[in-house]
Amino acid sequence: MAKLRNVAIVGFAQAPIVVRDEHRVASEILYPQVRRALADCGVERDAIDYQVAGSADYVDGRPFGFVAALDVTGTWPPRQDLHLEMDAAFAAHYAWIRMQAGDCDTAIVCGYGKNSEGEPEHVLNLELDPYYQAPLGLGPTSTAALQASAFMARTGTTDRTLAEVAARNRTAGVRNPDALVRARATADDLERTPWAVAPLRKGYLAPTGDSAVCVVLATEGKAEKMCERPAWIRGVDQRIERQTLGSRDLSASAGARLAAEKALAMAGVGAREADVVELAATNPAEELILLEALGIGPSDAVNPSGGPLCGHPFMMTGLIRLGEAFRQLAGRAGDHAVPRARTAIAHATLGHCLQQNLFFVLGTERRWT
Amino acid sequence: MNEPPKEPVKYVETTIHLPYHYVAGDVRARYLHALKEKKILGARCSKAGKIFVPPLVASPESFAPCEEFIEIAACGVVTTYCVVNIPVIGRNIEIPYVAASVALDGADISIFAMIQECKPEDVRMGMRVEAVWKPDGERQGDHEDIQYFRPTGEPDAPRESFLHRL
Amino acid sequence: MSSVPIMRLDVVSEFPYKHSTGETIGRFLAGLKEQKKIWGQRVAGLGVVVPPLGYSEADGSAGGEWVEVKPTGVVTAVAVVHEAVEGLHPFPAPFAFVLVKLDGADTAMAHVVKDGVEQLRIGTRVEAVWAPDEARIGSIRDIACFKVAS
Repeated sequence: MAKLRNVAIVGFAQAPIVVRDEHRVASEILYPQVRRALADCGVERDAIDYQVAGSADYVDGRPFGFVAALDVTGTWPPRQDLHLEMDAAFAAHYAWIRMQAGDCDTAIVCGYGKNSEGEPEHVLNLELDPYYQAPLGLGPTSTAALQASAFMARTGTTDRTLAEVAARNRTAGVRNPDALVRARATADDLERTPWAVAPLRKGYLAPTGDSAVCVVLATEGKAEKMCERPAWIRGVDQRIERQTLGSRDLSASAGARLAAEKALAMAGVGAREADVVELAATNPAEELILLEALGIGPSDAVNPSGGPLCGHPFMMTGLIRLGEAFRQLAGRAGDHAVPRARTAIAHATLGHCLQQNLFFVLGTERRWT
Repeated sequence: MNEPPKEPVKYVETTIHLPYHYVAGDVRARYLHALKEKKILGARCSKAGKIFVPPLVASPESFAPCEEFIEIAACGVVTTYCVVNIPVIGRNIEIPYVAASVALDGADISIFAMIQECKPEDVRMGMRVEAVWKPDGERQGDHEDIQYFRPTGEPDAPRESFLHRL
Repeated sequence: MSSVPIMRLDVVSEFPYKHSTGETIGRFLAGLKEQKKIWGQRVAGLGVVVPPLGYSEADGSAGGEWVEVKPTGVVTAVAVVHEAVEGLHPFPAPFAFVLVKLDGADTAMAHVVKDGVEQLRIGTRVEAVWAPDEARIGSIRDIACFKVAS
């Protein structure tokens, strides 16, 4: 395959996720994270060629809210800037693409938006077509439950297994100081929570909250000066499936399978070699579907951060997975570190029922020499 | 029949319903609470000293934090303006009305305001204006605590004094 | 700074929309309203699509012949709502969202089941319940809901 530019994650700052921040608006939560990410890299804002953000105005009901965020990302003198109405992980992919094109060598990628100010069930209903699906009142929890039911019917997965997957994530989250939920919960505890939308219990759902994230990317030559142990992007790919739920096989994720296959092939590694697998799975059935797409089983390598079940600031959850994968490889994961992590997979998703999937494969070694 | 009706149903009508639960945040809340006391607050950039009204947590220009809150005068200069002849849906404003950028004394950027108590054709760049507040007891701590600005009758401000604050 | 009294504001934003349907969606909805019939379209790569879009989601080619499907079918996914979301959900809880593969269709259609949700499984046969004549307006809800087939 073609030789690409080596690009690394060199910095990551995240505001600890809270249920609701009553003292700050979204851009005010973001500002200190941008400052800290740059300070950790030992650079001023001038050293950054490009900025790209991911957020969705509908999340906190502020039209052109992403413009307000420009006030806190050092956008003067006028900078090259882009905004995606997507999870900020996709913004990181975009920055990587611009670096491959030679447009820039360094970038900050920001995610922000206050989930607490909006109601996700109403907002994400709007991701569905207005003719056939949205008028029924489907929202993210009900569509996820449809997918979970199809997956469980095909594979024979039980409610108990979902509880165990959820419990493993909750145990990991205890050691992550940025997580929203840091209380251990056993499979017994979670299996006893009432149904939200069956087959998903309340204990299996990812709690949304407020946060802000800044990730710093840099190409070879600059990355080494900004971080002692950069996390090199060895592979990346994203795929999208159809809009209509009924024309997809919801019991599996063909898109995740293909994106993972392509990203891993680019990286030159197999999924089993990953020491860390951070998945943006917002319920245990999604985690199992994604693991099946990767061809690996559940293990302690999955979501050492606690994953979205310990905090899901919608529109940033994917970028946080990328940041957590970076932390592990850079030796900055503190109490939730996976020892001697060399290879990591980070996943992001958008749309209902894992409609769109993005995989990054990171490593402590450069891919192209 | 081997096909649905020839005439399609032309539209699907939907009313999007989105509940929101905003907070102003401490910086904006402080500014709004101060309006109730007939005070206008700005914030000073810790690096360049530029004063922003309403206050911001950081300067968009210097990227440095704004740490100090400053009280700003409730009078200033019309920097630029327009005369609006189109009614605003949902608001009871008599047209034509004048919408202006007003650089308050002590502030380095302008706020938006309505100019009243004069004919629209008398408004000009450099015209000195002062805030007209809602009476005591009626102010709520929101933007409408300042009803509008009106001319003070003072001589116009020279252009150099406000061109950088448009 | 945390001594500043918190200012909160609860607002419901509402926007009216009038979405043009185009010929395929418009005629499908007319079929529900005027004929109490459910129509699909045979498209490349997917077979008979219900409800139809006018193009194939598989390869983007323009949609083909109309095919009537039965108002009965099989449940392929079930989500039982135990806490209804106000202003969004069509019924009080418990009710279910389902994907239904109607007899004659190759794709499933999303819809709702109001009663008897405890009987729903993947594979359960269901049948359409039509809204009364005067209540059908050319909407996917001209089918009021599905019910477990007797």
